[in-house]
Amino acid sequence: MEQYSLLGRIGEGAHGIVFKAKHIETGEAVALKKVALRKLEEGIPNQALREIKALREIEDNPYVVKLRDMFPHGTGFVLVFEYMLSDLSEVIRNSDQPLTEAQVKGYMMMLLKGVKFCHENSIMHRDLKPANLLISSTGILKIADFGLARVFSNDHGRLYSHQVATRWYRAPELLYGARKYHEGVDLWAVGCIFGELLNGSPLFPGENDIEQLCCVLRTLGTPNAKTWPEITELPDYNKISFKEHRPLPPERIVPDTSPEALQLLMRFLVYPSGHRIRAAEALLHPYFFLEPLPAHHSELPIPQRGGRRNRQLQREFHIEQPVSDSLLDPGLLSDYLQGL
Amino acid sequence: MYHNSTQKKHWTFSGKEELQRLRAQANSRCRARVRGTGQAHLVEIFNVEPHEELIICKYYEKKLVDFCNAFKPSMPKSVLGTACMYFKRFYLNNSVMEHRPRIIMLTCAFLACKVDEFNVSSKQFVGNLPEDSDAQDKILEQILEYELLLIQQLNFHLIVHNPYRPFEGYLIDLKTRYPLLDNPEMLRKSADDFLSRVALTDACLLFTPSVIALTAILSSASRAGISMESYLMECLSLKDSREIMARLADGMKRLKIMVSKYEFARPEDVALIEKKLEKCHASEVPAIANTKKRKGYEDDDYISKKPKTEEEWSDEDLCSN
Repeated sequence: MEQYSLLGRIGEGAHGIVFKAKHIETGEAVALKKVALRKLEEGIPNQALREIKALREIEDNPYVVKLRDMFPHGTGFVLVFEYMLSDLSEVIRNSDQPLTEAQVKGYMMMLLKGVKFCHENSIMHRDLKPANLLISSTGILKIADFGLARVFSNDHGRLYSHQVATRWYRAPELLYGARKYHEGVDLWAVGCIFGELLNGSPLFPGENDIEQLCCVLRTLGTPNAKTWPEITELPDYNKISFKEHRPLPPERIVPDTSPEALQLLMRFLVYPSGHRIRAAEALLHPYFFLEPLPAHHSELPIPQRGGRRNRQLQREFHIEQPVSDSLLDPGLLSDYLQGL
Repeated sequence: MYHNSTQKKHWTFSGKEELQRLRAQANSRCRARVRGTGQAHLVEIFNVEPHEELIICKYYEKKLVDFCNAFKPSMPKSVLGTACMYFKRFYLNNSVMEHRPRIIMLTCAFLACKVDEFNVSSKQFVGNLPEDSDAQDKILEQILEYELLLIQQLNFHLIVHNPYRPFEGYLIDLKTRYPLLDNPEMLRKSADDFLSRVALTDACLLFTPSVIALTAILSSASRAGISMESYLMECLSLKDSREIMARLADGMKRLKIMVSKYEFARPEDVALIEKKLEKCHASEVPAIANTKKRKGYEDDDYISKKPKTEEEWSDEDLCSN
């Protein structure tokens, strides 16, 4: 602990307080998350072990938040993460104008790269949502909260909605009580986040678990054994029955969007979880290769935590300026290159 | 995946010599610390040699395997493998003079259960010990005391790749792609024996899990008088890569020798060294024997069972600059 000086409180949640601190030796800003050991008889809680397990094993990926260190403190221990300025939920909430298509592509690309990396390392996140996608000071999106750590905002009103938010990204098989599932649940969440980026508002904002399912069914149509063969085996399938809904046409789910975006979106929002497009495959989708191309991370908005200073920041970062303007004319370089 | 794991990057070593060097360093570090106290009688007590440490470790590794094998409810092999690996890794950088191997061994098993999601309660866990229930509670307290220290000493690398999964993989592969072998399942029994003997050796610190698994298959086959040469050549396509084949053959040979040469610790040696160790563990070395504190934790009040609802950090902790 002597290595860090505490700078301020970032937030608090079910697992303890999160502080901003400075690593004295390097001057780097970090987020310290304190894990208290409450249930003394069982030692270090499984959730904490899962997070350490996952994050230690996948040390190096630019799109996954880095666990820098861990040390004991008082009656528990502290996880040290790189400090992140903001998260995607704030980006969505604070952007006065809807995100541009290039910006949405930029976020989706980083998200998919992070998810691909996790899945390749056999790590299923299980709780992807905008609030768990942190934004660094240079605009890079990083997946966080592997089963334990959370980022909270100062406003208590928001805290409540964050907790509700988790449900909005829950895959239909989970809503039907599935006990066995796989990384498809993450891909569903990716689809929900994608839709939210495109629309500027959550795709399936259910008020409770039943309504959540209703929300999904009203949009994608009521599933049956034909459209979703595994459904009959899910624990809660027989407990709830819904009115017949026909699927909405994609362009009504997300209006004013390019056909490629819709096409990709609908590859995530598929009932049979095995049929959802894998992250690695999604990254090769034409969506990412057609104009407008994905925005560079420096062209993305970075809202201040809890503040609304993003407009000022946006001017600083010239987000309207196309990236091509900042590129050097290859002609100017040709003289230097010839010698190589 | 093993190839980008922390196991490969940080815990697979070049050879026996490196292991020997690390253990000798751990031994001399501990003794240097004791010398640093300037107390001559302590220096005399902390005189366990590296080869003696190794005998003690061997003895407790065997006990660990026995404990896991007798565990109720029955414990998956991977938990056993993970626990053994933790124990090996711990004493690569620590001395038995400083940390009692029996508690470390149990802490390794306890942590392995949690990490491998083999869910047993802590009560259930210590219920497997021969002691009465009061003593079990005490031991549990010690295990919890050591848990964080263990994790720190493992450098928070908790995922262990065991040879058991690749072994199943090879069996499936043999069944589907190697019709020359009628009944690959017949290899299982003696391959299992081989793998349980491997668990006692340093193999997990030197070889990849898949090489260990393949060696188990091949040695079981050769016992049954079956040659698997064509499996390696054709199915694993090693026909055209002589260099890889040569390296693999060399590795498998070294592993087999390691397993066949393995000797149990002799009880009379163990008894002698344990006597020395008792003295080490009974002596109060400043900054070493820290028996009252939960290892790795800072505060004494940790054990107090008062429900704590608030973290100790408060806004008062904040420096205003």
